[in-house]
Amino acid sequence: MSSLDPARADERLRIGPSAPRRRARVDAEISVPPRFGVLAVLALCAGIVQSTVLSGVEFRGAHISLLIVLVVWTGLRCGVVTGGWLGLLAGLIADALGGNGVNVLGFTLAGFGTGLLASRFFWDSFPVFIAAVAGATALSALLSWATLAIAFGERGAFVRDSHTAVWAMIVNCALAAIALALVRFGRSRGMIRT
Amino acid sequence: MVAIPSFWDERKLLVFLALIIVASVVMLIEIDAARRGSQSLADQFAGTVVGPIQGALMVTGRAIANEAYVTTHARVIAEQDAALAAKARALAAADERLKAHGVENRELLRMLAVRAAVPGRTIEADVVGYAPEAARRELEIDRGSSQGIALNDVVLNGDGLIGHVVDVGPSSAHVLLIVDPTSAVPAYLQHTHAWGIVTGTWLHARMKYIGQDVHLTFGDVVVTGLGEIYPAGIPIGTVSQIDRKDNALYQVAVLQPAVNFEALDRVLVLVSR
Repeated sequence: MSSLDPARADERLRIGPSAPRRRARVDAEISVPPRFGVLAVLALCAGIVQSTVLSGVEFRGAHISLLIVLVVWTGLRCGVVTGGWLGLLAGLIADALGGNGVNVLGFTLAGFGTGLLASRFFWDSFPVFIAAVAGATALSALLSWATLAIAFGERGAFVRDSHTAVWAMIVNCALAAIALALVRFGRSRGMIRT
Repeated sequence: MVAIPSFWDERKLLVFLALIIVASVVMLIEIDAARRGSQSLADQFAGTVVGPIQGALMVTGRAIANEAYVTTHARVIAEQDAALAAKARALAAADERLKAHGVENRELLRMLAVRAAVPGRTIEADVVGYAPEAARRELEIDRGSSQGIALNDVVLNGDGLIGHVVDVGPSSAHVLLIVDPTSAVPAYLQHTHAWGIVTGTWLHARMKYIGQDVHLTFGDVVVTGLGEIYPAGIPIGTVSQIDRKDNALYQVAVLQPAVNFEALDRVLVLVSR
């Protein structure tokens, strides 16, 4: 019986190169970063919660900043483009809820700057994330003071608020550590896919 | 030609520039609005859309915080509650004392006015008891002959006539009230100057021997007339009922005493000697 026998066509077709096996769907989804829309809604919620429920929570004059932690996480996780634009949006939210324009530039640069680190570090590294949060808090505070001094003529904000800014860095770093630990825990249990 | 490092590839640079420009524009708009004292578009959006959500969250947050505080500080709150309740009781007691002092003060002021108005020396005395049985309407005061009180001394307070002393001991005396049926006080109507005799009816007093031609009206004030015991002009009471019979020689007026005999605690005694 020849191999060209039409009756054996199925056997002949099996000889060809086999198609590459599709990767499991679940593995493909793990690497998908969150959508910008979701992050934007998260930023809005963070701003609202920060301006309401957490407004009374302070430590030595320093308030928790969910927005900075979210912007830094986004920058590390998604890169400069998403990080930068989310920083801009977060700054706009912070200013719309009562910042008078002193936050937007600092948040934008914080998001962009942490986005630059994304290509060099793992986003779920504790030291990198916490250092980035501390740096972003400091940068945001510095630019806020500069804006206050230049735009509103309010001198002496650095002298007056630097102590509070240091405590804000510590508070935000603690929040970042807790948030990252929760994300890691959620990923290990399959509850979060980021 | 300056080479751009690979770290700053063209796309990142474009994003950076775009972000800086947009952020600067947004910042300038916000600052400009703040300087003008108005709201930017973002502020208005936040106020319109986010404002109600913030309000609801604040209310909810406060409620949760209150509940959490109450739950975690239940013991402290209970202690504070007990302390506040004790404080409230103490304040209420102090308030009652102050009210009593106020009443006493007003009574003393009235008595001072009476003391200035009546002739002669007066002695202040506290009422220490009433006659235990209803045989006579009497009261006992804590001043007696050792303080200068004598038989038939007139007793009054800021409201008017109470009675006169009917027996005296060294440190106490008994006073026959004008509402006792055996009491007889010469008196006249302040309005018409018509004379009569005031005697007691246990609860009230009656003014007897008022001439038929005297025009009596309710509320007429009756005061003491100058007599053997009583000085003139001390209020006794007001006319509350009129008993006039055509075939009688005199009219009778029932008086509402000026003094509340059930609540006497301090009196003035007009010393006759």
